[in-house]
Amino acid sequence: MSNLDLSKISLRPFKLSDVDDFLLWAGDDQVTQNLRWKTCGSREEALAFIRDVCIPHPWRRSICLDDRSIGFVSVYPWSGDDRCKADIGYAVAGDYWGQGIATKAVKMAVPQVFNDLSHLVRLQAFTSPQNKASQRVLEKAGFLKEGLLRKYTYFKGNIKDSIVFSFLSTDEFPHDD
Amino acid sequence: MERDREESVDLAQISLRPLQLSDVDDLMVWTTDEKVPKFCTWEPYSSKDQGIDFIQNKACEFLWSRAICLNDSAIGFISMTSSSVTDKSRGKSVELGYVLGSKYWSKGIMTYVVKQVKKVAFREFPHLERLEALVDAENVGSQRVLEKAGFHREGVLRKYLFFKGKSRDMVIFSVLSTDLNHQD
Repeated sequence: MSNLDLSKISLRPFKLSDVDDFLLWAGDDQVTQNLRWKTCGSREEALAFIRDVCIPHPWRRSICLDDRSIGFVSVYPWSGDDRCKADIGYAVAGDYWGQGIATKAVKMAVPQVFNDLSHLVRLQAFTSPQNKASQRVLEKAGFLKEGLLRKYTYFKGNIKDSIVFSFLSTDEFPHDD
Repeated sequence: MERDREESVDLAQISLRPLQLSDVDDLMVWTTDEKVPKFCTWEPYSSKDQGIDFIQNKACEFLWSRAICLNDSAIGFISMTSSSVTDKSRGKSVELGYVLGSKYWSKGIMTYVVKQVKKVAFREFPHLERLEALVDAENVGSQRVLEKAGFHREGVLRKYLFFKGKSRDMVIFSVLSTDLNHQD
């Protein structure tokens, strides 16, 4: 695969017109296997998911290549006394793996998120110990690996270990390489 | 750590039982002591009504709880909360919390109690996979209780909680049902 010009990567809110591009990756088991998302099975499902989940979401952005959706970055803030923290998640279409796109997208998202969510102090991410690629994304984006939480969460019907990472409002924002 | 009263406690005199309204005066001893909730989200109590309210309305909200007693007088409290209360994906996990009157610190009482409750948890809740505890990074005494009671220290969650006006780094500990087969 040729070197992708990462300056063509942008983040923006989802639109209903993203549906066909969305289905390409949200309908791919390889992409959704590490997400809590169910794989989208049809254009109608994809449309409903964009309309009912992505668009009203507190902070979800489409990762775009030349303004076409090839993935997402999502930040979900906790509520009440816990609004000092939020969980970040992301995915990229299979055809675009291995080119630094997720890292670029997360690096772009971090300063935006701290700007948009006023109470946020801690951005946290949980990955599977097996998902080395995702751990590298977080490390390259400046997150600190804090530990392995054993049998921490139910994931698609099974109890799983999670590695927890964090990025604080006081940490130095990542620079572009 | 107070050293002027070196009375050690015979741990055989320590027992656990449900908290009762008649414990309110004993409860007020540790809830009004500023040293005790230093690392807790709550402020020291200023009236007996708060003690009564806790016993009648709050203690029963926990998944499981007991008064820690010395010769049947309450000197502290230990509780378990289901992690699914805050996170629906965490139904096999329970969080442990505990508090002890400062007069009884550093005598091995809390470690002894946590060791018992660790076993009780997996017996009472046979589907339980993980018992965890979060301790303020500055609360070294409580971290030592968990280490001595056989919990694994998994890491420090930076600025994980915010209370009493500041962000707190929390050390997270856990013990799994599978750990118990290899311990004690």
